[in-house]
Amino acid sequence: MELHTIKNKVKDVLTSILEHNNFEIHDELTAKDVDGWNSLSHMMIITKIEEEFNIKFKLRELNKLKNMGALVTLIQNKA
Amino acid sequence: MVFNSLDFLAFILPVLLLYWLLFKRTSTLQNVFLLTASLFFYAWADWRFLALLIASILVNYYLGIKIHNEEDEKKRSLFLYIGSIFNIGLLLYFKYVNFFYEGFYEILNIFGLESGNTSFQILLPLGISFFTFQTLGYLMDVYNDEIEPTRNLLDFSLFVAFFPKILSGPIERAANLIPQLEEKRVLEYHAFVDGLRQILWGLFAKIVIAENCAAIANPIFANYEQQPGSTLLLGIFFYAIQLYADFSGYSNMAIGVSKLFGIQLMRNFSTPFFSTNIGDFWRNWHISLTTWMMDYVFTPLSFMLRRHHKKGLMISIITTFVFVGFWHGANWTFVLYGLLHGIYFIPLVYSGKMNTSQVVAKGKLLPSLKEVFRMLSLFILIMFTDVFFRADTIVDAFSYLGKTFSGSMLQRPTGIVNSLVFITFALIGLYMFVEWIHRERKHDFEISSYNVYLRWGSYILLFILILFFGRSSETFIYFQF
Repeated sequence: MELHTIKNKVKDVLTSILEHNNFEIHDELTAKDVDGWNSLSHMMIITKIEEEFNIKFKLRELNKLKNMGALVTLIQNKA
Repeated sequence: MVFNSLDFLAFILPVLLLYWLLFKRTSTLQNVFLLTASLFFYAWADWRFLALLIASILVNYYLGIKIHNEEDEKKRSLFLYIGSIFNIGLLLYFKYVNFFYEGFYEILNIFGLESGNTSFQILLPLGISFFTFQTLGYLMDVYNDEIEPTRNLLDFSLFVAFFPKILSGPIERAANLIPQLEEKRVLEYHAFVDGLRQILWGLFAKIVIAENCAAIANPIFANYEQQPGSTLLLGIFFYAIQLYADFSGYSNMAIGVSKLFGIQLMRNFSTPFFSTNIGDFWRNWHISLTTWMMDYVFTPLSFMLRRHHKKGLMISIITTFVFVGFWHGANWTFVLYGLLHGIYFIPLVYSGKMNTSQVVAKGKLLPSLKEVFRMLSLFILIMFTDVFFRADTIVDAFSYLGKTFSGSMLQRPTGIVNSLVFITFALIGLYMFVEWIHRERKHDFEISSYNVYLRWGSYILLFILILFFGRSSETFIYFQF
């Protein structure tokens, strides 16, 4: 899958869970930079991404994610 | 040796002087000296458990390297299991053995079997809940490849035993603390002064606010059967403020003392009473414990249950908070305290409003009426859970609450010293005002940007308040955990 397709889909997921779109998707983006992306909403975002791309993460892969770039790469490797 | 004692002053002054004058050459020298001072500090508090602390350091240091070096996945897990059993085992033995032992005998009693002696005499090693969580977190971070284990036993020992935080936290993370210990610390005037400021604020919170609240709440809780509901309500209020001022005051002093040595510990409280929902409250209350629980309990659990969506999330939150409660001690009251907080999350999760995490009234002087209403309702909800935090047994807690919500709640409060209550109310007002205006800053008393008159005016005011209204105290609530 193309990187920008993945990014767009991730953006849709974030918008639907967090109910706002006050963020720009870029590789250095972290959860801290996005309003409402906290430990409670995190797992809902992850679950929704898994459903959208029809993939499954491992917890250790998620623990290692440092930013959006790493998440997008991880999705690309799985999808 | 508590921070607000002459003993501590006699300890810290020479330690600071030697540290910055004699041992400043390399990070190794600094760490050798700080570790010696830390072990002395711990031994002073309770020398009997020094060997335990050292054993814990050695075992965890060795396991960290083992986990990292091992390539076979099964063996890696095995080493992590050994580490977990060791750390949790220490906690279980020293802190929880009587709880389970008595529970076991209760069950035998239910089945009509006789029980003999129902408890062991086990002393609780100081700080054990804090340092075992720190080392456990370290091993899990190494296992998850989030950090490299340190190969320097000196740095690792200091990471565990660093004296400002050994007795009561903050529960530090290796990723924050160890890199700071690897570098040589240089004396910086602004950081040093900021540390002093934070200590002063912590001292004020502890010996003025917490101790005056305690002077009101203690007699009320001790004789609650004889008091009208209105007095009991006051008792709950003052205890809730005491609990906060005691532990956040302690934390500010610990972080401040650490800054004097050029080491930045993590923030432990971030004006939690100015939160508008329970999620925000816990993001700001005992942050080092909450984030620990989030990373090592909540995240794996909610990941496992993620297919159950909100129901799974809810189960994970409630379980996590039961653990948070139980961490405080081997008593059903703490379990219920955690459970109540977990239950408070239900409306938040199901309303879908859990995605907010902002400073309340950001950039404004005053909050809106709606925000005031939310903060107050949240405070009241939390205040009632503190009765469970305080009570010796669940029965006591319920009977206290039962008496509070009786007809006598509307009577004039009796059995209290009016002048003390009014003065303490006024002091709490000042305390909360200062926290409110600094709620977006790095700590509650970060006033470096103020002009010199305002800064020194504040210092002098605090000194005067401490002199006139301060009460001495030998302990902190969180030392028992």
